[in-house]
Amino acid sequence: MAKDRNFNADFSARVDAPYWAGLERGELRIQRCAGCGRWIWPAEWRCGECGSFESEWPRIEPLGEIYTWTRTHYPFVPDHPVPYVHVLVALTQAGGRRLLGVLTGSEEGLRIGAPVEGYVEEPSARTRDLPAMRWRLA
Amino acid sequence: MSAHPFRGRVAVVGIGETPYYRRGTSPDAERKLCLKAIVDACRDAGIDPRDVDGFSSYGADENEGPRLTVGLGTRELRWSTLIWGGGGGGSAGAIVAAASAIITGQAETVVVYRASAESSSGRLLNKVSEGYFGLNYLVHGLDSPAQALGLYSQRQIEADGVAREAFRALALASYHHAQKNPRAAAYGRPLDAATYDNARMVAEPYRLFDCSRENDAAAAIVLTRAERAADLTERPVYLLGAAFGCGPRWGELDGNHDPITSGGFREVSARVWEQSGYGPGDVDVAQVYLNFTGPGIAALIDHGFCTAEETGEKLTFENLTAPNGWLPVNTAGGDIAEGFVHGMGNTLEAVRQIRGESPNQVPGARLSLLAGGPMAELVSSALFGSADTL
Repeated sequence: MAKDRNFNADFSARVDAPYWAGLERGELRIQRCAGCGRWIWPAEWRCGECGSFESEWPRIEPLGEIYTWTRTHYPFVPDHPVPYVHVLVALTQAGGRRLLGVLTGSEEGLRIGAPVEGYVEEPSARTRDLPAMRWRLA
Repeated sequence: MSAHPFRGRVAVVGIGETPYYRRGTSPDAERKLCLKAIVDACRDAGIDPRDVDGFSSYGADENEGPRLTVGLGTRELRWSTLIWGGGGGGSAGAIVAAASAIITGQAETVVVYRASAESSSGRLLNKVSEGYFGLNYLVHGLDSPAQALGLYSQRQIEADGVAREAFRALALASYHHAQKNPRAAAYGRPLDAATYDNARMVAEPYRLFDCSRENDAAAAIVLTRAERAADLTERPVYLLGAAFGCGPRWGELDGNHDPITSGGFREVSARVWEQSGYGPGDVDVAQVYLNFTGPGIAALIDHGFCTAEETGEKLTFENLTAPNGWLPVNTAGGDIAEGFVHGMGNTLEAVRQIRGESPNQVPGARLSLLAGGPMAELVSSALFGSADTL
């Protein structure tokens, strides 16, 4: 979802607005096609499989497996002390759709396939004032 | 079997470039660099720059064809295209667009070019650093291609079995070739294995020398009809096949495309082999875009040179270096050691190999592959050949 960084645009008009609204309430909600039931992520206006423009945003448990990871050493982004670990999490209850987040806590056992549990970090300057998914090794 | 309608119909008749300046230090503005490269390519081709009637670029280049016509004295502009998306992934796509224009008679003499000067367009500052990644990445402090592709390369190693040593071999081969290229940014600065191994981590699994540099520079090639090319030069470099695009679900690249360890070339390379009638075993030399080493290895796998499991055995320093390696790659130093103008330098080097003018010439090279930026949302590749490959 490149080119979605117009911070002056109406946030509620974003295709993934229900995801952010869910996080604000501490809930992980992922898009699912109302026509064929396929999980869709990143969010999209139309299901490319069945053609439906209608979607649902069910709440799921923040559980998954590490699909891949990287540890950032160079300070590319202000306010993020290095090093820190990104995990791409295959969501257990969303058909394995993959969601990016930051790993917190112990890195013992960090590997592809390791189970993780998520929680929501409160908005801050370093999350661009948005709630953000964080993950811990389970 | 009749030849594919794209095959051998167009040839490169000229190449031109400016020096590779350290990023932000070009004495010339970006459009001036662009004009210089195009004029240099026309001089090489023996063509009056006023006769260029088509323009084709990629990677959000800001030097639109119409903006170049006054400086070039263009008599008539008949073609102007930019390949959408994919950054350096579109480098050979711009060649596809140019060739399509020529083959269909829309234009006669088309330049493919790329110019970048930080002082003018601020590519790194504005295009890469500010706005490339969406909010779902940004809130997590992921805002650099090194981090995004680091995720994919970690899985290349940990899940697919790509050899970590192959990353190093690709970097060392690039630097090795740059030592014979006085134009290269890394000329006179060789890299050894210990220096590579001890360099600082950037984003795992990438160390410093796995990463490309960014330069201020411009480069261009001139394409025209094959029949006319033979009148212009003794060594036309024929386009045997070229394609751009991506497979299903590839466009967003938010880690939900499959397989994320691919360079994205599976469909594109299949079309290049089909158009050209050649396969990976026929290729003499390859220029592979290296945003980072890992994606370049993915590109080689996608084109069928080896499997992930064979990378340790096949992608060694000896095999990847000219003149006698199994598959010499990035023979002018490539994006990480020659310099980076969004991969356009690779296009020129692919042409030089067929003309016999490379600083690390592969003896008798007849088939030269160009692969655009891998692990991008759109990728492209092209196969060039000498007259006897037609």
